[in-house]
Amino acid sequence: MHERLSFYVKRDSFLHGLNPLTKLTLAFGLTFVSFISPWYWTPHFVILLVIIPLSLVGRVQREYLNAAFRLILPTTGFLFLMQALFQPIGKTVIFQFWFLDVTSESLSFAFENASRIFAMVSSFTLFLLTTHPSELMSDLTRRGLPSQFAYVIISTIQIIPQMQSKAQTIIAAQRSRGLDTEGSFLKRISALVPLVGPLVFGSLVEVEERAIAIEARGFTSTNRKTSLREIRDTGFDKFVRWLLLMIALVVVSLKIWLS
Amino acid sequence: MNVIYLIIVGVAMVILLAWAFLTNRLQKDFNTMTWALIPVAIAINIAIGQIVVALKLPVYLDSIGTIFVAVTCGPWAGAITGALANIIWGSIVDPNALPWFPVAFFIGLVSGFCASGGLFKNWWKVMVTGFLVALTAATISTPIAVIVYGGITASGSSFITAYLLQLGQSLVPSVLITNSLVEPFDKISTCLLAFTIVQGLSTRFLARFPRPENVEVEEGVTRTQLFIAVGVVIVLLALYILFVVKLVNK
Repeated sequence: MHERLSFYVKRDSFLHGLNPLTKLTLAFGLTFVSFISPWYWTPHFVILLVIIPLSLVGRVQREYLNAAFRLILPTTGFLFLMQALFQPIGKTVIFQFWFLDVTSESLSFAFENASRIFAMVSSFTLFLLTTHPSELMSDLTRRGLPSQFAYVIISTIQIIPQMQSKAQTIIAAQRSRGLDTEGSFLKRISALVPLVGPLVFGSLVEVEERAIAIEARGFTSTNRKTSLREIRDTGFDKFVRWLLLMIALVVVSLKIWLS
Repeated sequence: MNVIYLIIVGVAMVILLAWAFLTNRLQKDFNTMTWALIPVAIAINIAIGQIVVALKLPVYLDSIGTIFVAVTCGPWAGAITGALANIIWGSIVDPNALPWFPVAFFIGLVSGFCASGGLFKNWWKVMVTGFLVALTAATISTPIAVIVYGGITASGSSFITAYLLQLGQSLVPSVLITNSLVEPFDKISTCLLAFTIVQGLSTRFLARFPRPENVEVEEGVTRTQLFIAVGVVIVLLALYILFVVKLVNK
């Protein structure tokens, strides 16, 4: 049983039909704007007015909100707590805890930072929900990305879940043989080698077989390869990409102008 | 100031890659074995990271695969593995890993250069490699931590940073000190584990990679050598901490 390591949800929507590169540009653009923009509330506007409506357009709102509450909110919340407690900026102390004091400045700083990260993660989640990895890769290969990179990225996505379940199997197997994985610090360190060893040697031996297999399929051939998938790239896609580039430039110049 | 530093790091990465590509150094690192190894190495990084979390050890050990590629295939292959590992992991599972890809890039590059220079052939040389890698990682990750997270990241070591900040240190030195306290332990043990793995592989298997000569183990690993190793690392660490403290007191 390999769990799938891809967020992709197959739906028929406007957002799914867009060119993968357009959606990638969108994710990067939104992240860039939320980080660079000179206004405090930009990341919040990006989340509320762009990402959530887009998730409705892409008909993945349920999956997006699910990820937002169960994945993104806990991590950004933790970051918010760390920053609010540990940032030494500001003078208006709200309350003190041990040697740490929480000031209104550190609170607002932490809130802004956490919302930026929230916006970044959200825009990439949305991108991954609506784009199949191999679609993105075949589009990028068509645009001149070396096919070796496409191979590396796609096969990494396939290998990671296999490797994770292998690691779990090895941990369980060594435990059942009596390996102490929860004892003292020294015991846990010495447990590292019997766990790492089988995992690494097993998978490294496969590398040679993989190399022979891809070599036999013309991996290093320099001839032009054909693709099974046809990916659309409309005029609207090009327009959106240029628009995003313009917005990014405007934001940068605003930032420079206002500071 | 910090943003400029970050831009310098980015431009340096691009220039280094372009230079290596134009002088054919990049291509020398890649054969079919390298391409087949990279995805496995990235998965090894992540799986070992998970084992370490399961064992509740206070290190990350999440660049063993990267260092293995850098040693057996060359610095450029290592650099690309590191960067791709963070980009892929960051864009499908934990986006917090994404901003750190330049760190992984330079970890691969530096360990690869050390290995080409013959610093991956016995225990104490590997420890020196680990130390150099740690210095690089600390230097590159400091501005990223400062710009992206304001110095306080989601990792446990930020506690030290916070403490230094409360003592009245300014931000950049605090992060730098924290990193240079934490990184050496992590990177030296990473390199030692990678060395153990390399030693466990057969010469026939290693010979298929582009740089098998990097890992021809020198015979005669004795107890004296281990003492030399520990001594060298302690001296280097002391010098480095002195340097940092001096920097801070300015």
